[in-house]
Parts: sequence; structure tokens; C-alpha cells
Amino acid sequence: MNEKPSFLTAYSWFLQRITGVLLAIFLFIHIDTIHFTKEFFIDFNRVTQRLSSSGWWVVFYIIFIPVVLFHSLNGVWGIVEDYRPMPGLGKGIKAFLWVLGVCATFYGFVAITKFL
Amino acid sequence: MYSEKSGIFKYYFDEWSLNTNVGTFAWLLHRLTGAILALYLFAHILVVSSSLWGPDTFNLWLKSVQTPLTHFLEIFLVAVVAFHLLNGLRITITDFSFATKSHKSYFWVEIFVFALIMIITLTVFLPRVFSSH
Repeated sequence: MNEKPSFLTAYSWFLQRITGVLLAIFLFIHIDTIHFTKEFFIDFNRVTQRLSSSGWWVVFYIIFIPVVLFHSLNGVWGIVEDYRPMPGLGKGIKAFLWVLGVCATFYGFVAITKFL
Repeated sequence: MYSEKSGIFKYYFDEWSLNTNVGTFAWLLHRLTGAILALYLFAHILVVSSSLWGPDTFNLWLKSVQTPLTHFLEIFLVAVVAFHLLNGLRITITDFSFATKSHKSYFWVEIFVFALIMIITLTVFLPRVFSSH
């Protein structure tokens, strides 16, 4: 009960808001560029053209992917905490969410390289 | 407060029934839309990562998720994203500007912007539902 919380536990609230504001900007650009266009049908060539057009798109997704995964899985952890899980179970779920997030981040990075 | 005996759904219901104001409604919807988006995110990653198996596989997967039905469902996806995003900004502005007392009026501003976004979304996405793609 008196255990000192880790940096990420103490600042998860703050990081959730910071990543949320970043996502508001990133999601707006992502959705506007891909879905609110005249040519809305997406295929491999269209994605390749966009990602090859500027190095900024690669930088964009290198930041976007970990930020969206952190925000999403930290949000899931917030819902899990509503259940007040037992300490052992809570640590297990948290570890699972971290592994899932890190793996999905690298999976996303590798998927992007296929368009370059 | 949540207890194991009553369960999570009763906890959420009690939160709602004891505080029937827009703040509780927004909190519940934020949780619900967040859970939907977390599930969608992994489905999205799965579809996009079909690029790992080459352009043909990617195009096949993308074709299967770009039908009139999925274009129709995209309208709900935009609604879920827009609500979660706007409500998240409302929470952040309320927290960082110490404007807790104004959170209810901010909610109605949020609903107004949400309605505008949905009008634009419907004008863009509805024709796609009936397109030949």
C-alpha cells in the first residue's frame, strides 16, 4: 500500500493527456489525408506514393505508432484499474500490455518499411 | 465504489444513476469509445500489416475492407473518434486550465463541434456508400 509508485505509474495521468493532445493533431492529419479526399480507394501504390513523397511521412508514423499504442493501452490499463485487480494479476496484465505495445510498435515499423 | 460482489457493470450503472449529469454521461461515453478504438486499432494494424506479405496480399485485404458496408461503418468510426478526441481535449483543457467548474459548458461546446464534424462526415462518406467502388 505504501509502495512508492514507479515513474510511469505516477505520471500515467499526465502522459495520457500529453499523448492525447499529440494524437488529436496526428489523427486529424492521418484521417484528413487518407479518408477526406476525392480519391478515397486505398491500394498499395497509393500508400507507396504518399510515403515516398516526403521523408516527413516516415517520421510522422515513427512518432504516431508508439504514441497511439501508448495512449490506447494506457487507457485500457485505466479501465482494468476500475476492477481493482489483485497486485499479482495487475502486474501480469500491465506486463502483458507493455509487451503487446512494444511488439505492435515494431510490427508497425516493419510494415511501413514495405512501402518505402 | 467498485466492489467484486456487485461487478463492474453495476459499478458503472451506479456511477451513472447517482450522478445523472453530463459529466458522468461524458465519462461513460469516453470509456466506451476508448474501448472500441483500442479494439479497432489492433484490427487496423492487422489489416495494414498485410503489406508484409506483398502488394497483392495488401490490395486483397484492403479491397475486402472497402465495401459500401464498411464505408457506412466508417461514419460510426469517425463519430467514435470525434467524440473521444473532443471529449479528451475537453478533459485536458479543464484539467490544465483549472476550469473544473466550467466543464459542463465545455461539454456543450464539444457537442456543437461534434455535430459540425458529423455533418461534414455525412456529406463526404454517404455518397461512397452508394458508389460503384
